[in-house]
Amino acid sequence: MTTHSDGYSAPAKLGHWLIALLLIASYSIAWTMVDLRMSPTRLRLFNYHKWVGVTIFALAVLRLLWRLLQRPPPLPAAMPPWERQAAAIVHRLLYLLLFALPLSGWLMSSAKGFQTVYFGRWPIPDAIGKNAALGAALTSVHVALTWLLLALVATHVLAALKHQFVDRDAVLRRMLPRLPRRHSSEPS
Amino acid sequence: MKFLARLVSLVLLLGAGAAQSAPRALIAANSHIDFSVKEMGVSVSGRFGHFDASIDLDPAKPEIAHAAITVDVASLSTGDRDADAIAVDKPWLAKLEFPKASFTSSAIKALGDNRYEVKGALTIRGKTHDITLPLTTSPQADGGLVASGSFTIRRSDYAIGGGEWNEGGVVADEVAVSFVLALGPAT
Repeated sequence: MTTHSDGYSAPAKLGHWLIALLLIASYSIAWTMVDLRMSPTRLRLFNYHKWVGVTIFALAVLRLLWRLLQRPPPLPAAMPPWERQAAAIVHRLLYLLLFALPLSGWLMSSAKGFQTVYFGRWPIPDAIGKNAALGAALTSVHVALTWLLLALVATHVLAALKHQFVDRDAVLRRMLPRLPRRHSSEPS
Repeated sequence: MKFLARLVSLVLLLGAGAAQSAPRALIAANSHIDFSVKEMGVSVSGRFGHFDASIDLDPAKPEIAHAAITVDVASLSTGDRDADAIAVDKPWLAKLEFPKASFTSSAIKALGDNRYEVKGALTIRGKTHDITLPLTTSPQADGGLVASGSFTIRRSDYAIGGGEWNEGGVVADEVAVSFVLALGPAT
């Protein structure tokens, strides 16, 4: 096996794309469920949304540990300092929100009196008791954070596309799945 | 003198009789009736804020004890407005059609150690079923009693929450009910 020093490690890629898919699922479920009247379907979607959130949180923990153990590949030498700083800030905020969003959802659920029970089987303890006013406040926090994360993800995606199509460097390719090698040499 | 002694004994007798027949006063502020039902493993709990209880319980004479409790269905509160609205709506407790839920004891058996077995008729949503529930009393310093217990009912027995709510196993059939009734001294 060739080592690809210019790409992210396989676990880092897996974590990145799993979270990307789970975020799409989480947002889709959330935007559907909030418009439903109280019904079994609404309850079901809320639970699915919460299970996805717990999963994202767990993956984010693993990703952060991996990131601290395994340094990411270096950025292209041609990148100006402001872009490097901007990338570092956005990446940190993305990590922060991958923790903050599930945490705020968990707290708002507790305050609203609906405990989070992972897959309907494993109860996650409530950190705070039932409190309607606090529940409403935490809901606002959770919703505000969803828009902030969405804005950050949009920035992240646009930046990756800029690297790919404007700068024409290898930044996006570092995070893409490595294609199966052809019989001869692969382009580098 | 003999007349006075008779009068005194008559008054005492009446007083003793009253102690066995007049129900104890319910101290509403310290009493509550709670329930919880699971949806996909998530326990949703609530409380009834208004109810009346007529309980006549002399620990020395449990065989003549009697309990009747009437609950105002509309006083239900889970802390979540949407859940409250659903819970008292027609498919669930149907507060307009059945504003009261009630329990009337038919037999109370002392088990010793301030524990009792209470049999009686529970009526919810116009349907009545005989249930048996455990009751524990703790005597208070002022002669009052705190009576508490818990039991489980099946929603399906009382047709609570039909239709879509019984589909897909989202909401459990079992509903856990617990109560704490603070009662004044026997009068």
